[in-house]
Amino acid sequence: MAGEDNPRKDNAAVVWARYSQIAFIIPAGVIAGLLVGKLFDYWLHTHWLFLVGIILGSISGFVEMIRMITRQKS
Amino acid sequence: MPEQLWLTALLNKHFAGVANAILSAAHVRPTNPEAPITNYIAMQLLVFALLLLFFLYVRVRLSVDNPGALQHLVELLDSFVSGQSHEVIGHGYERYVGFLSALGMYIIANCLIGVIPGFETPAGIPSVPLGCALVTWFYYQMHGIRENGPGYIKNFLGPVWWLAPLLFIIEVFSHLARILSLTIRLFANMFASDMVILVFFTLVPIIIPVPFILLHIAVAIIQTYVFVLLATVYIGEAVAHEH
Repeated sequence: MAGEDNPRKDNAAVVWARYSQIAFIIPAGVIAGLLVGKLFDYWLHTHWLFLVGIILGSISGFVEMIRMITRQKS
Repeated sequence: MPEQLWLTALLNKHFAGVANAILSAAHVRPTNPEAPITNYIAMQLLVFALLLLFFLYVRVRLSVDNPGALQHLVELLDSFVSGQSHEVIGHGYERYVGFLSALGMYIIANCLIGVIPGFETPAGIPSVPLGCALVTWFYYQMHGIRENGPGYIKNFLGPVWWLAPLLFIIEVFSHLARILSLTIRLFANMFASDMVILVFFTLVPIIIPVPFILLHIAVAIIQTYVFVLLATVYIGEAVAHEH
């Protein structure tokens, strides 16, 4: 099956590509959260879910960033 | 009316009615009904047509005994993407090589077509990298579900059961952020590169812009490589099995 022998250690190019994501992942998380929050505000006729979206988006950005950094160390 | 390239004007002259019909079927009202086809759409259609013709030409001239230069080029590209996919995805990588090669060819053509005088760089418009990122996102999610079945959701839940609801939301946002990070990087690089060429071309139209055009080509190759590599990494993570 696919991915069964997925190598655990990434090569240099993959590490480089992953690290290039670090600069973008937090703003991208915040924008994604804002958009999803706005969408729920539109559907549910509320005016505060975009704030929840921004907070969750920034948390997910941080989590993803930390995961990217620690992945290589483990 | 925004300034139109000659190709856009030509397409609008002959296909404005068809484009308006398609847009109204999708409940989209064009900003300018007289010219619904924008420059970047025209450029993408051109890229699509050129790639189709290129692959048809290579397919027709395919030869084992006497391979031409273009066949060598395509084989080189295929072996490069295959090698990279094998290293990142592992066993069963063959299924994804076609998509990754096509994605790479499409992105690099969209980045480089603007170098030809009279054309624009479609990748410098946010919608084009966004489209590529969305296709990649749906592709790897689809293969993740196909490969792992309902167990694919475990990737979103984390190891601690009582934290699962919170981690699920964070993981969903994190996956959505991948679309935006792929989009922003490609768009920002190509837009900035285009602007640099434009500024120097406006100041000194001869010789001086040449190094910046070469820089644009280098940026296009690097960004295409990073985009395809990250798509490969995402596919690899999605189709990986837990032991």
